[in-house]
Amino acid sequence: MFGLFKKQKEEETNPEWYTELQESQERWFTFLEKLEAKMEEFANAAIPELKEILQTDDDLYKRTFHKVYSGVNGQLSNIREKARDTYEEKILNVYYDYNSQISVLSKHHNVVSDFRNRCSDRHNDFEDKYDYWRNQIETTKQRDLEIEYQKILDEYETIKDKFHCTQCGAGILIEKIFLIETYITCQYCQTQNTFAPSTLSRNLQNIARDLAEQRTAHLYQEFETESGKEHALYLQRHELSLSKIHQSDKKVLSEIQSKMDDLDEQRKFAVKNAPKLRQIYLRAMYDEWNKITPDLKEHNEKMYQNQITQ
Amino acid sequence: MEEKKVNSFLDKLKQRAQNQTNYGGEFETNEAQLNTRDCPNCGAGRAKKDGITNCAYCGFEFLTVKLTDGVYIKKEDNSI
Repeated sequence: MFGLFKKQKEEETNPEWYTELQESQERWFTFLEKLEAKMEEFANAAIPELKEILQTDDDLYKRTFHKVYSGVNGQLSNIREKARDTYEEKILNVYYDYNSQISVLSKHHNVVSDFRNRCSDRHNDFEDKYDYWRNQIETTKQRDLEIEYQKILDEYETIKDKFHCTQCGAGILIEKIFLIETYITCQYCQTQNTFAPSTLSRNLQNIARDLAEQRTAHLYQEFETESGKEHALYLQRHELSLSKIHQSDKKVLSEIQSKMDDLDEQRKFAVKNAPKLRQIYLRAMYDEWNKITPDLKEHNEKMYQNQITQ
Repeated sequence: MEEKKVNSFLDKLKQRAQNQTNYGGEFETNEAQLNTRDCPNCGAGRAKKDGITNCAYCGFEFLTVKLTDGVYIKKEDNSI
């Protein structure tokens, strides 16, 4: 009657398109595995290469290194794009297609959404791996700025009393590391000598902030850890609150509640403490920066004021 | 085979980066220098008497701009 019984019978077995979805999923998984292997192999080959280029690049701004670095990142992005395009074409399109054909009330509807969820989870795993390799490649940029700073200090020590007034020949003391051309007055004949600093010491202002950040990295790390706590503690508390739902024992319930209160306290403390740690970090970083380039202190302090009011 | 492909790609990338000319040309590295500019009008050395924009002896104008406060040069350095 009305074909009702026939329909019920049909729904008990897997529909014929089920195998098609299975195949698509399998193909997608193998495809991503291949891409991941390719990405890993490429990054493993590129990282030592990049480190070597950074060491041997004699350009002041390390431009050769940065060109290769962009090329490597571009290649990695290509792999990622390939995955994304394929995901849209082979997974999402198939999903939308079946989703429009199969009624939400159908027993098999969850087969379609499960297919999409499994494929999307796998894609997220791939994205995590991409992020991991991207970060690994980014670490090749790091270089020890203390060495470069020491070179500038050494150069200053050798040139500071090397110069003589061009007019009267009296010795002229270069009193500090100048960042740009400056006039130096001869103490004896009052002649205005123009001092042009070397390329090396001019570069001090370019590396000063990075060096200060390098020196205060531990404080930044403390701030980062503290600001990450808020979310982690919230999740822990949330899990406990879920565990209360099926619990009827009053003793256990009160234990859970006290744990939750404790976590909430910790969370509130982290929320308050994180901005304080940020300020401690910023103050220490700017102090270091001012120590390295005292001439730019006035300008840096304005920047600091802007940053703490953000 | 696959490893060869990756390495040849990296080598090409490196080669191309090294051969590419930088925007703005080659970088010049200079040593620290000290110089003076004699007054082209009277030949006197550039002395700081009441400022640096004019010659202390004959009043020749070295700089036509009015100086403002900078990192090393201050507005007091304008000759009166």
